[in-house]
Amino acid sequence: MGLLIGSASVVQFQVIGELPEMNTLGFIHDKVREYSFKDIDDTYDEYSVGWVSITDMFDTKFLYSSAISGDFVTISLRVDERKVPGAVLKKFIAKEERRIMDEKQIPRLSKGMKVEIKERVKVELIRKAKPTPTVIDLVWEISRGKALVFSTNKKAHSIIEEYFKHTFGLNIRQNIPYLIAESFLPTSDHDILKNLSECSFITIGGDANGLS
Amino acid sequence: MDLVDLMVVKRFIGQEFLTWLWWKSETSDGLIVSDGLLRFAADHNIHVVIGKKLCLEDGSGDEKLVCTGPAELHEAINGLALGKKLEQANIILTIDDLNYSFTLTGSLFELKGIKAPKTANTEASETMEGLILERIYLFNKLIETIHALFSLFLAVRIDPNLWEITQRHMSIWMSMRKLSAISQD
Repeated sequence: MGLLIGSASVVQFQVIGELPEMNTLGFIHDKVREYSFKDIDDTYDEYSVGWVSITDMFDTKFLYSSAISGDFVTISLRVDERKVPGAVLKKFIAKEERRIMDEKQIPRLSKGMKVEIKERVKVELIRKAKPTPTVIDLVWEISRGKALVFSTNKKAHSIIEEYFKHTFGLNIRQNIPYLIAESFLPTSDHDILKNLSECSFITIGGDANGLS
Repeated sequence: MDLVDLMVVKRFIGQEFLTWLWWKSETSDGLIVSDGLLRFAADHNIHVVIGKKLCLEDGSGDEKLVCTGPAELHEAINGLALGKKLEQANIILTIDDLNYSFTLTGSLFELKGIKAPKTANTEASETMEGLILERIYLFNKLIETIHALFSLFLAVRIDPNLWEITQRHMSIWMSMRKLSAISQD
């Protein structure tokens, strides 16, 4: 679940880098359209990634909902991937190996033949598989350089970091507590923060770990 | 130190904040109202209730202790006293008249399962853009508030004297919690 519907999971990122000073919104708008999602339903491609409207994963031209609302860029990253479950792949490889051994009347296959069969079966199955979509909502507050990513999945974070950089030429970095602390504290306190060590708690009657 | 190293080496900062928040939400310390909720003088009235589900982990993050319900909370206290860190907590947060429910992870400040409030504006939004801006406002409000609480913690945490006093108060609270659990058994 993302920005608009139901319960949500969200992580804040910091946007790092500079946008063009002239026609900033036009630049973002053009980039979003340039790197919008390309459908692979009618192809044999294994993977496709790109931006779609936050209100409709099929709207890749942002006809019904703008990618920009005020100071916010609101878009979704759609990732379609053809996947074959491991058990299915294993079954069809074994089946094909058996068929070839029977056809050639041989008791076992060479290593080279096994590799060839595995690759061929995998390609065939991937081509037949329907692409599975994943949609990750993103809200980018331009003036503050903050972005909300509506997922806590590490793989999703990795994909969105890479594609954001690819699209806008800007890095995004997860705002973890240490970095938030650094941004709150004056520079004079950064060394104190840097040198903080873990504390333990002592309770009356035992379980002592000592005070640091 | 790069981000991946910071995520590992400094993960305790957010975990200690979560423990501090738990303590703050349950004790007076001059900021708490009598009903046991946190309230501090700021632009908003903020109430925090921590409970229902807590997850503690050891330093490496490998060993986890999950406590659900009031009956198991003393196990969480025991875990803290044994050196475990509070890594996840279910939180009910009220900012003025906005009520949120969510799970916060200490090490990375990730928010999971957020149930955002429905406001009059949310329900009255006639355009999709209005709804989008309203939802962004609600999520930003939540994150800003967590960061405001974190900054209160930081002011104490980086001051050795204040932190030593706070640690003692927290230790007393843990001891009282343990004693309370024993007397109930």
